[in-house]
Amino acid sequence: MSDDVVPIMRIGDTLLVTLQGDLDDATVIRIEEQLTQEVVRTHAGGMLIDVSGLSVVDSFIARVLARVVGMVRLLGASAAIVGIQPAVAITLVELGVPMGHLDTALNAEQGLALLRRLRQDSTRAK
Amino acid sequence: MTISPSGDQDAGARLRELEATLDAITDYAIIRLDPAGDVAGWSRSAEILKGYTADEVVGRPMSMFYTDDDQAAGLPQRELAAARETGRSVFQGWRVRKGGERFWASSILTPIRDVDGAVNGFAKIVQDITVGRRTETLFNGVLESAPDAMLIVGSDGRIVLANRQVDRLFGFDRDELIGQEVEILVPPRFRKRHPGHRIGFFTQPQVRPMGVGLELYGLRRDGSEFPVEISLSPLETDEGMFAVAAIRDATQRRATEQRLQRQRDEILELSTPVIQVWDKVLALPLIGTLDTVRAARLTEGLLNEIADTQAEVVILDISGVPTIDTQVAQHLLRTVQAAALMGTVSIMSGVRPETAQSMVHLGIDLGPLYSRNTLRDALQLALALLAERAGAAATTLTRQERP
Repeated sequence: MSDDVVPIMRIGDTLLVTLQGDLDDATVIRIEEQLTQEVVRTHAGGMLIDVSGLSVVDSFIARVLARVVGMVRLLGASAAIVGIQPAVAITLVELGVPMGHLDTALNAEQGLALLRRLRQDSTRAK
Repeated sequence: MTISPSGDQDAGARLRELEATLDAITDYAIIRLDPAGDVAGWSRSAEILKGYTADEVVGRPMSMFYTDDDQAAGLPQRELAAARETGRSVFQGWRVRKGGERFWASSILTPIRDVDGAVNGFAKIVQDITVGRRTETLFNGVLESAPDAMLIVGSDGRIVLANRQVDRLFGFDRDELIGQEVEILVPPRFRKRHPGHRIGFFTQPQVRPMGVGLELYGLRRDGSEFPVEISLSPLETDEGMFAVAAIRDATQRRATEQRLQRQRDEILELSTPVIQVWDKVLALPLIGTLDTVRAARLTEGLLNEIADTQAEVVILDISGVPTIDTQVAQHLLRTVQAAALMGTVSIMSGVRPETAQSMVHLGIDLGPLYSRNTLRDALQLALALLAERAGAAATTLTRQERP
């Protein structure tokens, strides 16, 4: 339980999570536990999930990402996906995987800027 | 031709009856020869076929009906010897009529033996098969002179006939191929599946090209392969169904096609250029009709360029696209969605009034996509978006200036 499944880097109050390798059901559950606990433990304001290390992103992974983002938002932080590769983007659009509601950025740097904007938007909305 | 053995007919009457029967036969010349091979009996049919009367030939050697070449080669003697030895000698070849005209003859020579078994003469039956031979010659001529390699294959898959082009194309000698399974000419990697296709042809015989949409290969005697095109047609004969295969070397055509494909690829490459117009801004001027292949390549090229340059804004300029119908809009939408997944915003530019009208009339919805009339406006918007993104952290004021 205590051993980490994914490496997490902390930049200011933002967590940068790097997903790698094959993700099966059991691993996904452990990732969800690790990430939610980490958000609460660090009082993080945002989370970037880097998927550039994943060569395959299918509808299963897409659902996993949407779930994680949903959990992080419920905990009061904003979340975005970064590093979707060209081939992955084409596949997702062709498969018709709905990911329009997810916020995405090209890289971590632009992801941080995106999170800042998202946070401003949400504070203004309240 | 049975002779009644009843006693009330004398021998002379029976002989006359026999002669009458023989004379009634017209399609076959029936000739009796003495042991030396000289003419001893001459039927009416022989007279019709050869043109000589009995008086002109009886007592003369049968070699007089042969061509000079055959005579010189000693063919008449060989035939007689063969008949004496084996009891039968069958022959096909040129014979000469009275007056020198030739005809293609089929003859059977059988010895006549006396009660002691000694040969005391020969019976010879000759038929004029010039007409049949002409058809056969024509058939062979057509086969031989055909520009394509031609194979005739039986329903058991064995090669029955092959023309000269087959030798040339496959490097085999024809005699090596006759009787072999046609798979001998098929590369090993396709050999296992071929008999199934072959049987399929015989269950549904029709004129058709072989392996539509597939690249077919032939196997030469030396083991090398070459691309071929093959047309199949069924041949119905008294001996059953055969398949006629016309085989053409497609090396040249295949090479031409590949060159064309390469050129097409190059043109596609040229027709979907991605330009970096500003720091973090890409422009993609679309020209001509967007079909599925081009759209896929365009999307791929654009996304790779986004990955390379980390551009945050892409301008899709459609002023060079003649019509935006639902299909083209679909392609554009997919490109925009894929770019959005990577985190890049798209702006459409070059929308003309008539394009705007028709798109709305067609019910084309590009969703929340920025759109501008000119490239200049689009670039301005792109810079504004970039500034907003960069400045978002510094001040919240910019948000109120958003378009």
